Amino acid sequence: MYRYDEFDHAFVAERVAQFRDQVERRLSGELAEDAFKPLRLMNGVYLQLHAYMLRIAIPYGTLNSKQMRMLAHVARTYDRGYGHFTTRQNLQFNWPKLSDMPDVLAELATVEMHAIQTSGNCIRNVTADHFAGAAADEVADPRPYAEILRQWSSVHPEFSFLPRKFKIAVTGAERDRAAIQVHDIGLHLKKNDKGEIGFAVYVGGGQGRTPMIAKLIKDFLPEEDLLSYTTAVMRVYNLHGRRDNKYKARIKILVHETGAEELARQVEVEFAALKDTELKLPEADVAAITAYFAPPALPQRAEGWENLARWKKADPAFSRWVHQNVQPHKNPDYGMVTISLKPIGGIPGDASDSQMDAVADIAEDYAFDEIRVSHEQNLILPHVALADLESVYRGLVAIGLAEANAGLITDIIACPGLDYCALANARSIPVAQEISRRFGNPERQAEIGELKIKISGCINACGHHHVGHIGLLGVEKKGAELYQITLGGSGDEHTSIGEIIGRGFEPEKVTDAIEKIVDTYLGLRNDPSEIFLDAYRRVGPQPFKDALYGDSKAEAA
Amino acid sequence: MTRIWRETGFVENDPWVIETEEVNAGEGQKPLLSLEELVAKADESNEVGFGVLIKPADDVRKLEPYLYRLELVAVAFPAFNDGRAFSHASLLRERLGYTNELRAVGDVLIDQVPHMLRCGIDSFAVTNETAIKRLTEKRLPEIPHYYQPTARDAEPGKSYSWRRQAKPAA
Amino acid sequence: MGDKVLTANRLTDGIAVWLDANGTWVTSLQDALVARHAEAVAALEAIGKTSYADNLVVDVAVVDVQETDGVLWPLRLRERIRAQGPTMEYAPGYKPADPAFIAV
Repeated sequence: MYRYDEFDHAFVAERVAQFRDQVERRLSGELAEDAFKPLRLMNGVYLQLHAYMLRIAIPYGTLNSKQMRMLAHVARTYDRGYGHFTTRQNLQFNWPKLSDMPDVLAELATVEMHAIQTSGNCIRNVTADHFAGAAADEVADPRPYAEILRQWSSVHPEFSFLPRKFKIAVTGAERDRAAIQVHDIGLHLKKNDKGEIGFAVYVGGGQGRTPMIAKLIKDFLPEEDLLSYTTAVMRVYNLHGRRDNKYKARIKILVHETGAEELARQVEVEFAALKDTELKLPEADVAAITAYFAPPALPQRAEGWENLARWKKADPAFSRWVHQNVQPHKNPDYGMVTISLKPIGGIPGDASDSQMDAVADIAEDYAFDEIRVSHEQNLILPHVALADLESVYRGLVAIGLAEANAGLITDIIACPGLDYCALANARSIPVAQEISRRFGNPERQAEIGELKIKISGCINACGHHHVGHIGLLGVEKKGAELYQITLGGSGDEHTSIGEIIGRGFEPEKVTDAIEKIVDTYLGLRNDPSEIFLDAYRRVGPQPFKDALYGDSKAEAA
Repeated sequence: MTRIWRETGFVENDPWVIETEEVNAGEGQKPLLSLEELVAKADESNEVGFGVLIKPADDVRKLEPYLYRLELVAVAFPAFNDGRAFSHASLLRERLGYTNELRAVGDVLIDQVPHMLRCGIDSFAVTNETAIKRLTEKRLPEIPHYYQPTARDAEPGKSYSWRRQAKPAA
Repeated sequence: MGDKVLTANRLTDGIAVWLDANGTWVTSLQDALVARHAEAVAALEAIGKTSYADNLVVDVAVVDVQETDGVLWPLRLRERIRAQGPTMEYAPGYKPADPAFIAV
């Protein structure tokens, strides 16, 4: 993974000093709240219902054991002993003091971490495929480019006061595990016929109030033009994105209102002027950054095959976990492990300080010291020898993170919701917990198969409900919580926005509704290999509407 | 009270005035024209030494034919978080090659001055007390390591082509 | 007009606070000063403005409550959660909100 050099260390130290000065001016009153707010947001500091919230950047979801231990230390020392991994591969602390934050950031800087631009109207964390560098189906590792974009976008003076936030995602396989089509810029790293590296560029995807799927505006952008083209997109957005209405300020609205073709043309005009400037990426720079992401030297561990077969036979729970939570690695002696942060009845995405420390130990001992955070709020160990799977599993059992539910119905994505968030209209976490408990039985989960439930507590869609196979949107109706169900959403390479199925459900009726949906699916699927999403796409919403609402008209809530 | 600051210090006797219904350019003063006014006046005369005020929604590229006749271009930040003028400034310097005075007007606060400088702005109409105080003390909240080239000239940064560093103080 | 209390978040640590009868910002809703008529509410709002200007608190708001047997109960679910904290076990050593208090 990327390692800071002197320049990076100096930058982060200067940034901490700058923020410390801003916090002091705020606490003394010299800096008023409305002037301070965008500055604190650009350092990841939100004000929530109960306290401040600090969002730490985990660039493209990659971190090592030293960094994970620091997160545990911060949780223990400055917070209430836990953190929450997010749908943008970051980490949130829910109870830090503003007065402590400069110290927290100074401590994070010692392990090459920060909270720069994790909020605010600027370019946010550039996310990437959480299996990058390991997946068997990968064409090229997206992370070097995510790192180049991360550096280039850091404290960019022209793009620090955009109309609204800006999110970029990069994927390097045909299977899109980074949901690039619901990002402001989505980059699909690929090779052309000559074997040259470049990007298909998508612009204007997003969820929230008006979910939209990104439009392809460039078939193949050569690697060397990455920064000049991105600058062109950003400049067009900065100048022409709407600033009159917060809910119409994302680039997706600009694409929609201008037209994708016309917007692509405007970008091309700007790009033509930037193409051969100092923004051109020299091959040597790309090679140097790429070198940081070279895969670890993976020794042959052929004994894993035999051992694995034996262990699976001896322990059905372990067998289930391998089947569900371990994915094929480029190297046949290895696997990619998903550490589910969705224990049955638990809070999706949360980890305690001791769990973080334990994961750090496991990563160091068995996973070449590399950990990833997925946008589905789980942790990944991308390089684990099959021969070490049993040890990893035991380690996870000991800390309660061995649930064999990756991609299954209890692997729920949920935003913090009204339990924490000042923007929320309804709670997400208790809904997730109840669904998890109802469907907790491992056999039942296996029978149901892949089913991605995503829950958002408000229209901002931080739970990504629009791209859930089943999406739940919490709203407020007459002072009470109500949950709207959408079906058939997906964030993969065949991105689709879920369809609203009918009127909403009260909290105590949601789990039964999910059960009806699942039973309907089980009743009409071709066979167990037809997953829920595929069955839904085949039959459409009607069977589910009938099951939920009977013959009565189903008006959307 | 509004003061004009440049890196060489505060400027006295600045002649430029943003005209309103109440305020007109008087003796020894010069009006900052709107883009439309500038184009009209410049097309109908051979005058030079104009000053123009670029609003966020203006297309700054319209200035191209008149650049050599401009003494001052002011770019407006009506609210400090309206970032369009950062792009106007960048385009003026990098695309159009404008070399005369480029001034930030409006909601000019100390925390945005370093960004403005890097985008090629070289003078500032400052009203905010904290900003005036910090500029007087020459205490800008700057980070002298840069991850991107911008309009303002900078030293090359270490290791990668996109990095820059602040030029040492003259 | 219903009963109202004044709430905000402390600047230094962001913790949710309510204004009590002594003009102090306290961390328990139950200790809040209740305003029962328009002049009292106006007075609360004025104190809120001053506290904000004095950089003690941010996000000042007037909140509707109902008083039953001496217990203050915010009419909005959001404010009930603010008063009691997250509604599930979230960290060892911290009590979740009382479900009876939170319920609609």
